Amino acid sequence: MKKQILLMGTLLLSSAMAFGAAFQLNLQGVRQLAMGGTGTAVPWDAATIFYNPGGLSALKHVQAYGSVQFLSANTRYVETPTGNYSANSREKLYTPFNFYVGGPVRYKSKLSLGLGVYTPFGTGIRWDDNWRGRYVVQDIQLQSVFFQPTASFRINDVVSIGAGFVIATGHVSIQRAVPIQNMNGQDGKAELSGNANGFGYNIGVHLRANDRVQFGISYRSSVKMKVKRGYATFTVPTALSSSFPYTAFKSDINLPQVVSVGVGIKATERLTITADANYVGWSSYDSLIFDYENNTASLQDTRSARRYKNTVIARVGASYAISRKFTGMLGAAYDPSPVRDGYLSPDLPDNDHVMATAGLVFKPNKRLSIMGVFEYVFTPKRDGSFDEANFSGRYQTRIVNPGLGISYDF
Amino acid sequence: MKKLYILGLMGLMMASCKPNIEPAAPSGGEGVDFTRYVAVGNSLTAGYADGTLYRSGQKSSYPAILAEQLKTVGGAKEFRQPLLPGEYGYPEPKFMLMMNQGLCDTVASLGPMRYKGALDSIGSSLNIYTQDGPFHNMGIPGIRCIDFLLPGYGAINPYARRMFVSPAGSRPVDETVIMKPSFFTLWIGSNDVLGYATAGGDQAPAAIGSTNQISNVDLFNAAYDTVLSNLRRNGAQGVLLNIPDITSTPFFTTIQAKGLMLTKNDANLLNNAYNSLGGLIRFNEGANYFIIEDSSSPVKFRHIKEGEYILLSTPQDSLKCAGWGTKKPIPGRYVLTANEVSKIRSATASFNNIIYLMAKRENIPMVDVNAYMRTIQAGIVFNGAMFNTTFISGGAFSLDGIHLTPRGYALVANQIIMAINAKYKSTIPLTDVNKYKGVAFP
Repeated sequence: MKKQILLMGTLLLSSAMAFGAAFQLNLQGVRQLAMGGTGTAVPWDAATIFYNPGGLSALKHVQAYGSVQFLSANTRYVETPTGNYSANSREKLYTPFNFYVGGPVRYKSKLSLGLGVYTPFGTGIRWDDNWRGRYVVQDIQLQSVFFQPTASFRINDVVSIGAGFVIATGHVSIQRAVPIQNMNGQDGKAELSGNANGFGYNIGVHLRANDRVQFGISYRSSVKMKVKRGYATFTVPTALSSSFPYTAFKSDINLPQVVSVGVGIKATERLTITADANYVGWSSYDSLIFDYENNTASLQDTRSARRYKNTVIARVGASYAISRKFTGMLGAAYDPSPVRDGYLSPDLPDNDHVMATAGLVFKPNKRLSIMGVFEYVFTPKRDGSFDEANFSGRYQTRIVNPGLGISYDF
Repeated sequence: MKKLYILGLMGLMMASCKPNIEPAAPSGGEGVDFTRYVAVGNSLTAGYADGTLYRSGQKSSYPAILAEQLKTVGGAKEFRQPLLPGEYGYPEPKFMLMMNQGLCDTVASLGPMRYKGALDSIGSSLNIYTQDGPFHNMGIPGIRCIDFLLPGYGAINPYARRMFVSPAGSRPVDETVIMKPSFFTLWIGSNDVLGYATAGGDQAPAAIGSTNQISNVDLFNAAYDTVLSNLRRNGAQGVLLNIPDITSTPFFTTIQAKGLMLTKNDANLLNNAYNSLGGLIRFNEGANYFIIEDSSSPVKFRHIKEGEYILLSTPQDSLKCAGWGTKKPIPGRYVLTANEVSKIRSATASFNNIIYLMAKRENIPMVDVNAYMRTIQAGIVFNGAMFNTTFISGGAFSLDGIHLTPRGYALVANQIIMAINAKYKSTIPLTDVNKYKGVAFP
């Protein structure tokens, strides 16, 4: 037993992993994540409900699958071109989770059904209340949970198709200082929070060309997350309180569509190599608008241009069956930032992500799999400005992201 | 044991995953020495704000802010200023925002009022040169460019009196070079036109020695040259700042020329009263031009026109309930007519031309504050905070409508830093404007 722990630890250490640029998380499926986030072509397990619904009918048994990540991101800001000011985002642990259940409606049926519950988008950063960028952001948290009932049909030995309907829920909260000072020189504060809802779909085709080569194509639609009734609280000097009333607000955040293509090749009996490309339609995130119900002369609706650009993510992965009970995975990915120069806001000081991943699957018996993954995300330092707020500087982010999962075939 | 080892290794790995960027170190550039920085100027240099001088305002004067940034490139650790003991203003109490109900107001509203509590100015009039001098900040509120050559100036200016080494005998220009500056900023000249403008222009009494006339251009030129030459004597480098167009400040722009709101009934009543003038005076429902005094008009009054200004010092109660601007013309001492505005602008242009030529002659940088003020007028953003020249809410101007808030002074300090960096190839960091105070609200 001690040996196993040692082995797992060593592998985890030598591995590194990734998490997507901007606020797309790309953290579905422990095995897929450990293979650089590839999963469109090879339906390893029930996580294919996310990666490619068309692959679900390849599962021989109904499978229940659960995993959780322990993601911690550190961002550092320094002033440019020179100076002595720096700030670190506060340490915070995020735990995106996934749960999938699915498989054939009965043994050897062509029809498979499933349900995925997963967290595809999310972000958060907390700066010190008195930091230099406090009028832009002090704290922002964006969470989402998608529920995706899914059906998949095996047309013949080569082609399978699948589709899922996405019911999205989420929560957004933002806190920033307001540049209105009281008699003691303390800033005002704005706190906004609200629940968001939206709908979308996820469709895919899986092709088993032969025993060695598989292909996959999937399309995840954009999801318009609507905050229909959030609430804004303003803390300002008493004399101005009527100018900043407690008010409801509306906002929309358009989560991007994603087109994925993938290939998986069984190079040897033990080794499988995969590669995916994702086209992410980030241009859907054009602006962030807050529409306040009670407008006053001082409290007007706000529109912050973001103008994200569409990106293509490249991913590669490998899986190697070490023994009957152990399989090891490695992967890497490159996820370019959708954030243009001039739009680099400290609420998401994004840059290109370079990700290295590794993982291990332990299969103590035919039905049970225990999976571990470690992802390390490196972003090069980036000099940039958020022109709208005339706030500029240099940012660097590091992310470490271990995760654990378990699956059971019934 | 092995488990512990692995956990320790993982911890180590986590720690090495922290970002490790550091800001680049500033450089002091070439051919410039910041060890003895002296700021020469008037109220704007002293840190005057809210209609008076007080300690915390002095502490965030633009020279103090600049000196703080110069410390990163070899500037003196201590920047000595003639600090007042009190927070509520000397000699006059400062303006503060408070809820106030005027004689004719039905409800109280927020506005600037002079502080009415006990003053903390005991000892403010004492000379502190021996105790704290000589001073790096030689900002003397009220001083004009032409006053720098006036012997015994310290006897007539209370601010000069408390900080000069020999108030009764010296010329201000001699006092400014006691420290033998290695670097200087020179921002003088505003008062050579401001006194005229705040006194309402030509209505100001033109007594000998009064400061409410526009200074003679030749005298200005001679005085500016003498001050600058003295500062340059030991090869000191420095930055000149020119004069902002005073009519763009909230003191002149807050009360709108067409700011008289009338109901239909009131407009009719006024039209009936002025009926005999044959249409010279006419009111409509809604926004109207105020009535002002004008000796050149046949009836000695007329409507104010666009481009003419009503001063912020105009008593609000007189406007609201004594019929000023409607039944009675607003007195000329509270108004700048087009003719007076043009005199102010032309004098400002002449003085600024002198400053421009001096900077060119000496081959030292000049900050075009006049142009920068127009930029602020249009609105600027710094690290997410917006600034413009709107009274109170604009954030850059203090409650007297002429002088700046600490944040406004920090914006000026950054303009100076940019001029220094451009000229001397230094990389002095800009200050974070928002770490200073803006307008305080109750």
